[in-house]
Amino acid sequence: MIPLEYELLLSALLLCIGLYGVLARRNAIIVLMSIEIILNASILNFVAFSAYNNSPSGQVFALLGIAVAAAEAVVGLAIFLSVYQTHGTIELDKIRILKW
Amino acid sequence: MLENEWLAWFILLLPLAAFVVVGLIGRRLSEGGGHVVVGAIAGSFVISLYFFVQVLQEGALGEGVFHRLVGYVWLPSPISGTQIEISLQIDNLSALMLVLVSFLSMLIAIYSLGYMHEEEGKPRYYAEIALFVAGMLGTVSADNFLQLLIFWEIMGLCSYLLIGFWYHKPEAAAAAKKAFLVTRVGDVLFLIGVLIIWNQFGTLRFTEIASRLSVLSPELLTIIPLLLFGGAVGKSAQFPLHAWLPDAMEGPTTVSALIHAATMVKAGVYLTARSFIFLVPAVPNVQAPFTAILVIAAIGGFTAIFSATMAVVAYDIKRVLAFSTISQLGYMFLGLGAGAYLMATELANGGEPNSAGYSAALYHLFNHAFFKALLFLSAGSVIHAVHTNDMREMGGLGKHMPVTSTVMLAGALALAGIIPFSGFFSKGEILAVTFEVGAENSVFYVLYVLGVLTAFLTAFYTFRLWFMTFRGEYRGHGHPHESPSVMTVPLMILAGFALVSGLLVYPMQGFGNLVFYEEAHAALPLVGVPIQEYLLEAISLGVAVLGIILAWTVYATRRIPAERFTRSPGGSFVHTMLTKRYWIDDAYDALGSRVVYGMARGLDWFDRKVIDGIVDAVGRGGMATATGTDVFDRKVIDGIVNGLSLETVRTSWRWRQRQTGQVQSYAWVVVFGIVVVVALVFVFGPILRLLGGR
Repeated sequence: MIPLEYELLLSALLLCIGLYGVLARRNAIIVLMSIEIILNASILNFVAFSAYNNSPSGQVFALLGIAVAAAEAVVGLAIFLSVYQTHGTIELDKIRILKW
Repeated sequence: MLENEWLAWFILLLPLAAFVVVGLIGRRLSEGGGHVVVGAIAGSFVISLYFFVQVLQEGALGEGVFHRLVGYVWLPSPISGTQIEISLQIDNLSALMLVLVSFLSMLIAIYSLGYMHEEEGKPRYYAEIALFVAGMLGTVSADNFLQLLIFWEIMGLCSYLLIGFWYHKPEAAAAAKKAFLVTRVGDVLFLIGVLIIWNQFGTLRFTEIASRLSVLSPELLTIIPLLLFGGAVGKSAQFPLHAWLPDAMEGPTTVSALIHAATMVKAGVYLTARSFIFLVPAVPNVQAPFTAILVIAAIGGFTAIFSATMAVVAYDIKRVLAFSTISQLGYMFLGLGAGAYLMATELANGGEPNSAGYSAALYHLFNHAFFKALLFLSAGSVIHAVHTNDMREMGGLGKHMPVTSTVMLAGALALAGIIPFSGFFSKGEILAVTFEVGAENSVFYVLYVLGVLTAFLTAFYTFRLWFMTFRGEYRGHGHPHESPSVMTVPLMILAGFALVSGLLVYPMQGFGNLVFYEEAHAALPLVGVPIQEYLLEAISLGVAVLGIILAWTVYATRRIPAERFTRSPGGSFVHTMLTKRYWIDDAYDALGSRVVYGMARGLDWFDRKVIDGIVDAVGRGGMATATGTDVFDRKVIDGIVNGLSLETVRTSWRWRQRQTGQVQSYAWVVVFGIVVVVALVFVFGPILRLLGGR
């Protein structure tokens, strides 16, 4: 049995990697992938606590999370495609219309 | 009891209505409303005559008549007799005055139709004439002093307006102002007198006052008639308030005839006659104010000769007549004074009072009104023909204007006092009474001598005027012609009166019967032609004839040229003095310009520097406060408001800068928020829990 601490540490590590990707990378695809990583970190948390508590509900949420992630990737990629068509780029620091 | 009393009100109301009508719509009436005014005054005359006849029938021949027509109660009072009313008094004197005034006004108004025919502003003229007539009729029919004063002032106003009828002429405007201001001096005295009367008696009614006379102290009994006489001095142009009347000749000649010869200037005499209730107290144990009587007689006698001397040198035909009017009014006051003295002494001696002087003065008023109106209107006729007032540019007019010259001769004979013209009777009687009173007080002998000298001068200047105008060669320009009959007919009527008004005393059995001033003296002896005074009459007639002869020698035959007198040094000084009117006008002007203007300048300085200074300082203080408030408002209040808004804008601007549009910067904020929340929960949560004790 892997101790819970290890799993939580891994999850935190994934979160940090994801955050770094979200905050630091310019490419929207990379940012989307980093968001997937953050999502997977939380899913890993669910699974870890589910095993630790012998409760299956965490695994149910993990499955739900994977489905949400898939949907999110679909929606995100569609948005990026649309953005690319209108702006000609998906570099995030070049898309600045979300302001005053 | 008078029949149809109510009609008496129409004596006043008719001219007043004419004033309103002509004043409002005179422009659309024929002759600028002249016909309406003549009609109204004629109506007044007919009604006055109706009452005069009633008064005569009721007992003027031997008894006094007194009627009071109670009218509108103006200021009611709980105490009976003290309310102030507008009421009429119809007695011998006022009935006579009403007839006299309305008759002369009517004739002069008719004459105006011709004389004023070509004037601009006729509606104004006729409206003012109508108002004047209403004022004069109201003055002589008032039953109390206040009402008398009101109508008296209406007359003063009309006199001012009519003297200034040609207001675009500076001399006329100045003369009007002078007349108004000089008479005002007298009017103020009169007003003070009325106020003292009210204070002392609580009533202003003549009859009430006469019966309560014992409440007065002797000093007040002297002061009140003198104050009333002050009003008379102003209105009747006696010395020292005589200066306005000669200048008043700047008005139309009809105005001079009506206001400044026949009627208004007589109001002063009328007022003094009414104030006999003070001068000759009818109640027992009240000593008559002999000082006041002497003052009245002395001013009258002095004015008579004083003004006659000035008439001798005047060249303006109307001014000669104006000076003559002042002089004749002086005679009337002399007669009233002498008469009052005579009556008062006889009452004091327990005898029957003799009203000789009183009735002689009013008789002279009556006669003078006719012949002076006649003289003025004749002068107007002459002026109408030759278009100048200067007698040096006249002469020889007798050929061109036979009617005017004849009627003016009648007037001149009446004024000079030649038998049988009216002036002879009344002037002789005044002088006779003055001489008679001299036995009581020798001052009256002096006044008698002055009066006789005046009679001489009167005859002289009157015929100087007549000879210079109608005899010799014509010295003017153009071709003078006789006036139209609308002017000559009134002249002829007046000439008839100048002849017969003196003889009227015979059928009336003495003039005294016509003018008793109150009931108490109803049974006075009849006074008319003084049979016993032949010598005195002969003296006054003799000096008059002498005067005419002198005038004839100097101005008609020129046997003694007038220049011989004026060339000698003493003579030329006298001539200058008289021409300058004894420098009294100059003195008044100097007084006005030096003293009054000096005071005015002082007050002006005070006003500008002190009063204005205070006002300005207050203004500046207000200004400074306002500026301060303005600065505070702009800087502080606006600063706060502007600062708030500016800061809001700046803050919002700064915050706006944070909306970069960079998704990742938003993400940073989200992360930062999460970190903060976590920090709060895990760091501050335990601390708070510790502090809360939970």
